[in-house]
Amino acid sequence: MENNIKDESLFIQFIKNIRAMFHILVDEIKAIFKDRGVVIIVILATIVYPLLYCSLYKNETLINVPVAIVDDSHSSLSDKLTREIDATRDLKVEYKLNSMTEAEEYFKTGKVHGIVYIPADFNKNINSGKQANISVYSDMSSFLYYRAMILATNYVTLDMGDEIQINRLNAQGITGQQAEIVTSPVKYESNILYNQGMGFASFLMPAILILILHQTLVFGIGMAAGTAREENRFHELVSSSVHHGGLFRVIFGKSMAFFVLYMFWAVYMLGFIPDLFNLPHIGSVGTLLEFVVPFLLATVFFSMFLSVFNPARETQMVLLLFFSLILLFLSGISWPQSNISGFWKVFSYLFPATFGIQGYIKINTMGAGINEIHFEQVGLWIQTAVYFTLTSLAYFIQIRKSKKVN
Amino acid sequence: MSENIFSNINKAFVRELKRIVRDPVYILGTVVVMTFCYVFFLTLFDEGLPQRMPVAVVDNDNSSLSRQYIRNVDATQLAKVTMHLANYTEARKEMQKGNVYAIIVIPHEFASDLYASRQPKLTFYVNDAYLVAGSLLLKDITYMSELTAGAAKQTTLLAKGFEDSRIMGIIQPVNIDTHLIGNPWANYGIYLLNVLLPGILQLMILMLTVYAVGTELKLKTSKEWLHNSGDSMLAALTGKILPYTIIFSVLGIIADILLYKFMHYPMNAGMTWMIITTILYVLAYQAMGILIIGTTPVLRDGVTLAAFYGLLGFTMAGFTFPIEQLPYPFRIFSEIFPIRHYFEIYVNQCLNGLPIGYSVAQLLSLVAFLVLPMFVFNRLKKAAIYQHYPIK
Repeated sequence: MENNIKDESLFIQFIKNIRAMFHILVDEIKAIFKDRGVVIIVILATIVYPLLYCSLYKNETLINVPVAIVDDSHSSLSDKLTREIDATRDLKVEYKLNSMTEAEEYFKTGKVHGIVYIPADFNKNINSGKQANISVYSDMSSFLYYRAMILATNYVTLDMGDEIQINRLNAQGITGQQAEIVTSPVKYESNILYNQGMGFASFLMPAILILILHQTLVFGIGMAAGTAREENRFHELVSSSVHHGGLFRVIFGKSMAFFVLYMFWAVYMLGFIPDLFNLPHIGSVGTLLEFVVPFLLATVFFSMFLSVFNPARETQMVLLLFFSLILLFLSGISWPQSNISGFWKVFSYLFPATFGIQGYIKINTMGAGINEIHFEQVGLWIQTAVYFTLTSLAYFIQIRKSKKVN
Repeated sequence: MSENIFSNINKAFVRELKRIVRDPVYILGTVVVMTFCYVFFLTLFDEGLPQRMPVAVVDNDNSSLSRQYIRNVDATQLAKVTMHLANYTEARKEMQKGNVYAIIVIPHEFASDLYASRQPKLTFYVNDAYLVAGSLLLKDITYMSELTAGAAKQTTLLAKGFEDSRIMGIIQPVNIDTHLIGNPWANYGIYLLNVLLPGILQLMILMLTVYAVGTELKLKTSKEWLHNSGDSMLAALTGKILPYTIIFSVLGIIADILLYKFMHYPMNAGMTWMIITTILYVLAYQAMGILIIGTTPVLRDGVTLAAFYGLLGFTMAGFTFPIEQLPYPFRIFSEIFPIRHYFEIYVNQCLNGLPIGYSVAQLLSLVAFLVLPMFVFNRLKKAAIYQHYPIK
């Protein structure tokens, strides 16, 4: 009997605790919505940024980059080459010019981004069984121009070359299967995995989406902390009126409010947006969830720890906005992780964005299972533990300070 | 009168210097951030192109020929064979873990099929989720395999009695002679850093301009600021931003020197014009910063708006995805970003080495940004006097 009552009171206490936590959570979420600056960052920016950037990079690859052709050969073969270059998806022969000087002028004024020069001996060389040359000049201001030029011209000349090869061998009495074996003794098949179209958005956007989650959390939580500091008399991070429930209440309330809000954003950002804009999304929902939870927790506590040092509402964004670029390059999505030196690699492990971007791309773009992202997942849980501890410590010191003042 | 305005500007200038000493944000946001970025990016990309990226091999043949082929791939500059695995499934897992960026599968009987003219097939897989690593490795491995196949072709053709001079005409009938204008090594650092460093510079210029003016309003010191310069908004603003014009111009010129003198990145025209462009670029972004804080004289909103505009600049420069290939409205929109004009001048001057005549329009566009503050002069003056905007 006695035992029973004790059990019941424990149960009731448990329910009461749950209810108390729920109220704290609701209060904190309300607090977020009261601060217009925070709302702009954690609501407006999170909605708008992915839509804007996905529309910007809607065209995955370059189509019909304008090029000039200077054809000194004036032959049916050079005409054919010109037509075939024009027929590629990457390039468009915008001008057929008479001299390289003229073509250079078109290049300088930005009318074309590449020049193909077919020399006078092109036709003669081909007809006499020698190797023929063409020259390709590429604009290097963007690597995508370079890629379009190289891909298209290589494709066209290889295609033309195959035909010529067979003709030449036939002329020597080597025909059929035998000729094919001579021209390509080894076949090869190249497979482009996970981003077949070599698309720019498919490559960059998944990283940007994670970065948006990460950075809006950092700046949102930072601004909320700055507001709290500015609004109470002693410039404390945690005002005495708030922390009567103790350290746990404060940290729990704040972190859970942002966590809950961002679970919702994670669905929008990592599920809805890739679907809407046809970005890669072959990951399993279960794996994604197992990964997103530690990513958001790590980011929330990282942001809370960082916010301890934020003296005023705007300071963090003024000083740390540039770091978004650093995080993008530290993540190893562009410059490969294998080539990031030891120091910067260790440095990159301080930030949830690094594991976040790598993990998300592996699951979402490459279809990795939880075993393949073990490293990132463990990294995020360690960060969660470390930043939670650091945040608790910092808040504990803050609260003790404010008690002394009062 | 004119002497008066100079002394008023001077007063605002001196006042601002004192503020810079008092609030650490100014030194952190200029010298410290930019120095960090210079060190970070120059050390991160110091290889130019990523060298020796990890590749896995599944060698089902294990003949001396297949081993030679693997050694050849390993000897290329870009690839390094780091893993020998038993099958494709295992290799794909390593790829999903991010441990390798490419897989080469060599079939059973590769060597004997080749010698018996049975056309064996090599299969490669590259991971284009990492576009840079994937594209570079595809090029590298294809090239090495062409060479391997080419050697085999040459042997066959010689055996069939072809003359040496004819053999190249059969192996590769049409050869492409490639000229990469301004960046013949396709160096990734050259491509990125020339825009990333100025990009971060504009971000910091926008942030600090908005902050320097916005804090006066937020902390209600704006009246005193204006009064100190003889109630002339022109003098107050000029004196206020002048210290940052100097600091950012020096930082920008340091970047020019680092890129073109220290790293020896391509500079095919005069350095003087790049320095002039850098100074105009700093001024254009300061003008843009004033326009932003003048339009919304609330520090927090100004900072958020400047952040939005500043980050968009990286896209609008057009160095990642060319502007002509963006959806139409964005193409026009890009004109209101000084970084777009800076980028065009940089391409003309440094990469393509053109006479400055080709960049006059862009230089004038940068100058045109300087009229922007005039639109918000009165609004900013009123805000400074009445302090009637919310401070939070």
